[in-house]
Amino acid sequence: MTPDLQLSLPARAQNIALIRHAFGALGDTLAVDEQLLADMRLAITEACSNVVVHAYADREPGPLEIDATVSDGKLTVVVRDEGPGIVPHPGSPGLGLGLPLIASLTESVELGRDELDRTEVRMTFALSGADHRHA
Amino acid sequence: MTDEPHDTSTAAGARTSPEPVGPVTLRVADGPLFAPVLSRVVSMVLARADCPVDRLDDMLILCDALAAHAPAHSRDGHISLRIDTRAGMIELRVAELGRGEASELVADAQLPDVGNVIERFSDSCRIEPAADGAGEELVLDLRFGTPPGGRGR
Repeated sequence: MTPDLQLSLPARAQNIALIRHAFGALGDTLAVDEQLLADMRLAITEACSNVVVHAYADREPGPLEIDATVSDGKLTVVVRDEGPGIVPHPGSPGLGLGLPLIASLTESVELGRDELDRTEVRMTFALSGADHRHA
Repeated sequence: MTDEPHDTSTAAGARTSPEPVGPVTLRVADGPLFAPVLSRVVSMVLARADCPVDRLDDMLILCDALAAHAPAHSRDGHISLRIDTRAGMIELRVAELGRGEASELVADAQLPDVGNVIERFSDSCRIEPAADGAGEELVLDLRFGTPPGGRGR
């Protein structure tokens, strides 16, 4: 299924605000509940922050890609990068809470690699109470 | 607590020019999502490029025109754009248009007593063949830099 929204931009910290705005527009269009929209944006921010911090460490930022697809009352968001994959980072400046936080905010989360061997985090949100006419 | 993350890269009280976003590619389904996503993404890109507010208004008018007319010319129910900034300018490239569709898209933006919105509010409007040779792209430039010794626009 072709995503309803695809965004690709350099994996820089300041670009996460742009992604949050884009998903704000998506939430407004779908009439997503305010709390759900806040959860979505937080989970997406965490996934994108992981890309910014870890995917291209010690080199120029590569691409950060986000897809969003609305189907059957669910929003699926996939965050992709061309980094080495999700591995433990003992020296990470963060608290290591990113993925557990994403898991707690989403209906489901899957980590893996796509057909082009890119790292992807696939998050699903139930759009209960949202206007699904867009789908 | 505000909703958006703050740029904390500047020293207390200091304000430096924000770093440009970099090239953004956007592909949105033809439907109610297109206009709000396009305007918010373009606004963020221009804010990062230190674009003055009058030119931001011009660009948002261009975005409204594209939102109104581009879906009629999309090839597969999606509209593809590439947004890039360079020193004092933004380039907005509407991609994946069929042959002849770019000029038709521009022609559709004609308004009575106003003229052609796309041509009037952009500084440059041109049609280029798509890199894959399968169609064409509408390329709009909007400049907002102030030339030496002069006023921008």
